[in-house]
Amino acid sequence: MSKQHDQLNKAKKSSSRRKFLQDTGLVTGGLAGILATGIAPATAQTRELKMLTNSHFVPASDVELERQLAEFGKAAGVKTRLDRVAHLQLPAVLAGEVQGQKGHDLVAVGNSNPHLYAKHLENLDGLYEKIGKAGGGFTTKGVGVGPDGHVKAIPWYFISFPLALRTDLIAGIGENLPDTWDDVHRIGSKLKKKGHPVGIQLAHSVDSNMILRGILWSYGAKLVDEDSKTVAVNSKETVEAFKFIAALYKDAMTSEVLAWDDRNNNVCLNSGKCSMILNPISAYRSAVKAKTVDPDNKDLLVHHSINHIMPPKGPAGRHMAASFNNAGVWKFAKEKELAKEFLAFHFSKENAEKHLTASKGYNQPVLAGNALHPLYASNSKYYFAPFIGWYTHAIGWPGVPTAAMATVTDQYLLPDAAASVAVGKASAEDAVKKLETQMKRIYKRAAKREG
Amino acid sequence: MVSVPNVERAAASSSPSSVRSRVKKRLGPDIDGYGFLLPATIVMISLVVYPFCLAIWFSVSDAFVGEPASYVGLENFIYILTEDDIFIETIWNTLLFAFWSVLFKVVLGLSCALLLQRILKLKRFFRGSVLLPFVAPTALSTLGWWLILDPTYSHINWILENMWPFSVMGFGPYNFLGEPTLAMASVIFVNIWRGIPFFIITILAGLMSIPEHLYDAAEIDGASTWRKFRSITLPLLRPVLAIIILFSTIFTLGEFNIIYVLTRGGPMNSTHLFSTYSFTYGILNHEIALGAAVALFLFPILVLIVVFLLRMVRRDTSHEL
Repeated sequence: MSKQHDQLNKAKKSSSRRKFLQDTGLVTGGLAGILATGIAPATAQTRELKMLTNSHFVPASDVELERQLAEFGKAAGVKTRLDRVAHLQLPAVLAGEVQGQKGHDLVAVGNSNPHLYAKHLENLDGLYEKIGKAGGGFTTKGVGVGPDGHVKAIPWYFISFPLALRTDLIAGIGENLPDTWDDVHRIGSKLKKKGHPVGIQLAHSVDSNMILRGILWSYGAKLVDEDSKTVAVNSKETVEAFKFIAALYKDAMTSEVLAWDDRNNNVCLNSGKCSMILNPISAYRSAVKAKTVDPDNKDLLVHHSINHIMPPKGPAGRHMAASFNNAGVWKFAKEKELAKEFLAFHFSKENAEKHLTASKGYNQPVLAGNALHPLYASNSKYYFAPFIGWYTHAIGWPGVPTAAMATVTDQYLLPDAAASVAVGKASAEDAVKKLETQMKRIYKRAAKREG
Repeated sequence: MVSVPNVERAAASSSPSSVRSRVKKRLGPDIDGYGFLLPATIVMISLVVYPFCLAIWFSVSDAFVGEPASYVGLENFIYILTEDDIFIETIWNTLLFAFWSVLFKVVLGLSCALLLQRILKLKRFFRGSVLLPFVAPTALSTLGWWLILDPTYSHINWILENMWPFSVMGFGPYNFLGEPTLAMASVIFVNIWRGIPFFIITILAGLMSIPEHLYDAAEIDGASTWRKFRSITLPLLRPVLAIIILFSTIFTLGEFNIIYVLTRGGPMNSTHLFSTYSFTYGILNHEIALGAAVALFLFPILVLIVVFLLRMVRRDTSHEL
């Protein structure tokens, strides 16, 4: 028995030694072959479509996007990969890919990035037209367009800034819901006296950049002309808008707004303190999740009395800015055509609607045909959503969002100018002049760079 | 014609042992030491020298993300100095921030170290505790301060408004991060809180190294506590103080996390420092050249500070010898 065992073991050992030698020979020979020919074996040549986006506030949105990628990949016989980074890290990752001319095929390029990276993004004019035609047209023009006038990225979705307000507080003082900025000022002044101020950031925050643009546009002011190159901020309309902001600050807000980030106004509304803020639906959704009780009425959950209405209108109409997300294809991408095919697949009505549903309504469609989505009809808090796109513009409006406008935005020039008027550090006229000088410096430099 | 001895000499000189001896003669007897230094040198060159040289190149170029760069001389420096009003504000902010932060860290660090030296009970506990702000990741601890100084629900304001005796004294609420002077004071305070353990521990080590007999001799001579501090403690601590002031000045001038988390340079740019403004230009605006110019603007100032403090240290230590 033991002899049999020994023989068996010996046979096993010799067999494994032989196997080892065979395998080693195969690997060595295989590697030498790959190195000599420079061609990977067929099994390693599977094509892969790689997409980069920022992590969505609603994770289910990314899950749905990943599902669509996988579905597309299965049909096309390719592998797919969705990489996500925190939204604040996305600019650095994009910059890294551009510097290295290597990375993903399909990328999320927000606001002015299509303009900034125009030289590195594929022209998508044909696809833009096709998607637009099928989707009933885009609600906003100029988004995703590069300096040469070509479409560099397909407008994907935007995150809007409706007026989120406490309907019970407004009804409590016998007022109707505000429709104009003057209404906001009047109602806000009354509610501030009752401990419920208006909350609009005059600080280094994204919300501040968006909302203040909305106020300026509603007053007929603009930062740049339609050509996206001429600084046009120095006007009597801007002065009037600044004076209004100062009055709103003095009568209806508190000095906290000078230090607020994008989170603070949500907290202020949800805690029961603020009466009105301009914010995406995230504030309301957080209140639903937190089930915050109203400090003045213990029987009331704050979210029950929060609603959203259209941004207020000013003398020049109703306008608001928003953060636009776009999808572009790198010129240096390995799978350019595949990426374009996926975009066409993703923007089909069925898939676009699924993406919107998964995002719980955050991903507001830029296609008119998709705006009237059943999700927005399912909850009275979202009634504003299908229509706000018509009044929403990107940061460079009435021009396109350019790299120079991104600099103006990232340096918070507008919030700082508005804040200086609000706190009495500068007159509206002086603040406007200073803003003009700062913007002209940036636009001059950008013009020089772009030749 | 080469004579035989010359050929031999030539052959001998080209042998490996002679090459080694010649190198040895040139570099000194510790030739192996250079070999041991090599890994550190490679790391230094690749992680410090190369990025630094690259930053210098960027600052004199028109580098922009994704674009080929070309030489523009001092154009970037002229631009930020003559056209950019935010940069001028940033210079002032940075100097103010560094001056007050380092000054308070020296004074408070020295005071705390002197106190800790005298504490006998729970000595280890106290010495360990003071290190806490230093060991916690800056971004994380600053997030704590962000909540404490929150514009709407500041913990400090809540205490001032709701807790006796503060509630009856009528202090607050303060807009710590929304009022320019208070915002600067707040970020300076957090920087002091974060940096003070480094001062305490280093000064404490310096205090321990002062020979006890000097104090005994001073005691016999009838010197007062103040006199002993002025004539023994302070002069013997000077080299230590100079080194920590040097390090702290460099770190404080380059502070980023505290500002980025607490104020993002606001309100109205009143807390923008070189590092945060350089980040805005270089990363957010993609103007790598301007970002590098802003960051390197600090360099000559730092060189002057380093030269001054190192000369002071050398003078003090040679005096000691």
